Amino acid sequence: MGTIGADIVLKTLTEEGVEAIFGYPGANTLPLHDRLAEGPIRHYLMRHEQAAAHAADGYARVTGKVGVCLATSGPGATNLVTGIATAYMDSTPLVAITAQVDSDLWGRDAFQETDIIGITMPITKHSFMVRDVTQLASSLRQAFQLASTGRTGPVLVDIPKDILSAPCGDQPKRVPAAPSKRIENPEQLERIAQALNRSERPVIIIGGGVKLGDACERASEFVQKAQIPFVTTMMGIGSVASANGFNLGFIGMHGNELANRTIHQADFILALGTRFTERSTSVIEEFAPLATVAQIDIDPTSIGKNIKVDLAYEGDIQDALTALIPLIAPHAREEWMGRIRAERDLQEAKLKDGGCGQAGNLIRKIQAAMPREAIVIPDVGLNQIWTVRTWQSHSPRSLLTSGGMGTMGFSVPAAIGAKVGAPDREVIVICGDGGFYMNIQELATISAYRLPIKIVVINNGHLGMIRQIQDLFYEARFTESELGDKTDLTAVARGFGVPAERVAVDEDPKEAIARMASAEGPYMIEAMVDQNNYVYPIIPPGCSNMEMICGK
Amino acid sequence: MAIQERTISLLVNNQPGVLSRIAGIFSSRGYNIRSLCVAETTNPEVSRITLTSRAESDFTEKIKKQLEKLVDVISIADFTGAPSVQRELMLISLRLNEENRQEILRAIDVFGCRVVAMSGDSLIMEITANKDKTAAILRYFEPFGVEEMNRTGAIAVFRRQQE
Ligand SMILES: Cc1ncc(C[n+]2csc(CCOP(=O)(O)OP(=O)(O)O)c2C)c(N)n1
Ligand SMILES: [Mg+2]
Repeated sequence: MGTIGADIVLKTLTEEGVEAIFGYPGANTLPLHDRLAEGPIRHYLMRHEQAAAHAADGYARVTGKVGVCLATSGPGATNLVTGIATAYMDSTPLVAITAQVDSDLWGRDAFQETDIIGITMPITKHSFMVRDVTQLASSLRQAFQLASTGRTGPVLVDIPKDILSAPCGDQPKRVPAAPSKRIENPEQLERIAQALNRSERPVIIIGGGVKLGDACERASEFVQKAQIPFVTTMMGIGSVASANGFNLGFIGMHGNELANRTIHQADFILALGTRFTERSTSVIEEFAPLATVAQIDIDPTSIGKNIKVDLAYEGDIQDALTALIPLIAPHAREEWMGRIRAERDLQEAKLKDGGCGQAGNLIRKIQAAMPREAIVIPDVGLNQIWTVRTWQSHSPRSLLTSGGMGTMGFSVPAAIGAKVGAPDREVIVICGDGGFYMNIQELATISAYRLPIKIVVINNGHLGMIRQIQDLFYEARFTESELGDKTDLTAVARGFGVPAERVAVDEDPKEAIARMASAEGPYMIEAMVDQNNYVYPIIPPGCSNMEMICGK
Repeated sequence: MAIQERTISLLVNNQPGVLSRIAGIFSSRGYNIRSLCVAETTNPEVSRITLTSRAESDFTEKIKKQLEKLVDVISIADFTGAPSVQRELMLISLRLNEENRQEILRAIDVFGCRVVAMSGDSLIMEITANKDKTAAILRYFEPFGVEEMNRTGAIAVFRRQQE
């Protein structure tokens, strides 16, 4: 067989260090799928293209490498959209490859022709339509380069079938990327350091960008040296070791009261890799009203996007922190730390179970049975908030969650990618019943590849988070939020080839959890939870972070 | 923040899809593009886009950062408030009759417009001027019954300061 476009694709992917891709075939991908058997790249056949995108996303979040998904033209490509948008909102480096109809059919509404570049324009960093087989390797290389640099994110490469099957010669080899630029504005960092050194009540905000920029260790060092408390956004959880005494929890709508109250009193905020979304700030005018805000971010458009910043540094967070650490003069801020300690004691006395009730206890028991380096993947809804509030994250890439997009159905397929990326780590999904239905077909992928993924479905028979909002803010009119109890999820799981058992509301889950933990292959627990098990505190829409509701 | 007309100009790769990415930056943030002019530069691989939009004063900074992130955008220049020459071309077609003919021809002369086509009862003129002037001219001729009007939108070049 002579070399064709498809070979160039696989060769370029291999050169880029790709070991696994998640995909689904169609007539237009066939030239590529046909050649997969020969190469070193493993292809995971998913049961839905949306799941392929989430799996690639999960893979990238765990490994820090670029995730790759592959779909055919038309419906295959459009099925990727939710997954690409999810990756975009959380800045996951992803390359989505779509096959396109033959180029002589473009613009003729051919069978399965879709303008996927047009559809995905607002949710990709960039996209390439490959118009000539000689541009194949360079387009793909640029895609990897763009996906993995700056503020990372998804890039789409659309390749017509005739180009995938076009005979061609070898293409120029990869040229190593130029080393990234170093500190450009040292005086800006000096100003930030001075302001921080002068401050009496400083707080650091750790956003998702800290882990994306591989700056977690540097951030820990920074906290230790500066002796300054920090809060995180939901995406920043786990980036800096929780147990060092400076962690106040995460801020925002479902965040920790201690974190929200402390940031409100701060006179200086150092924001690392966060764009201050309204989920973390609530009403922006009332967020941290007393603070001078310094922001460090690699993405120029994230600086000052949502909040007025007084000092900004645009660049790599790791480099910035490395330069900042020697400039910091630690000083004992007794008064401030005392205030925070008192607030912490108050909170702990008030919220004994962390505001998560029975579900919180369940999650604590699950974590106790899991190895320390387990990866936990909540879905979206109450289950997500219960998990992020309860699970003690010890390392940056051990809690994966769809934050910016809040995509129900993310967890199960993302777990597939996570397990492929980190086969030696335990991967556990904590999912709501609603979200579980949304990509339930991926149980088939899990059992087909015998991926030892552990799944706990917290079944409250409802779209629980919606129910809580209806309960609190719509006078308890529970319209269209009940899923009911007519489906036996354990039977469904067994039907897919995944062993499963149910734990009743009043039953101790301990033994079921032990069976799950010791299972060789995949395993599912359906844990029944009372429909009135909500999450507190919660911030009502239109309120500030200080107006937390702590119960009905 | 003060709302004001902003003029920016971009050098971009001359490739399909580039304009729609740029338009997307504006539309997804709710900005209306008021005029848009695109043409090849002396380098056929590069086009220049000049556009105007009405927006508050931090608009250019924010939009500029977004545009700079686009792979196909090579550079961005902001003409708002800078010393520059700005021009647009406008074509106006008018119906003539015995009463208005003389006045129209006189006005064309006064305004420095140029007649590019004329028949017994109609006339087409062109005007090249900055936008304030084209607007004033259009306002003047409107009562005579403008049959058709078309304009290019602004293009601009920086005025070099004397050394
Ligand atoms: C794809 C998608 N559709 C709708 C929503 C809106 N939404 C947010 S939470 C939620 C309820 C989730 O219910 P479930 O999965 O059972 O989790 P629970 O809150 O009960 O733990 C819904 C519908 C969403 N986030 N994602
Ligand atoms: Mg539920």
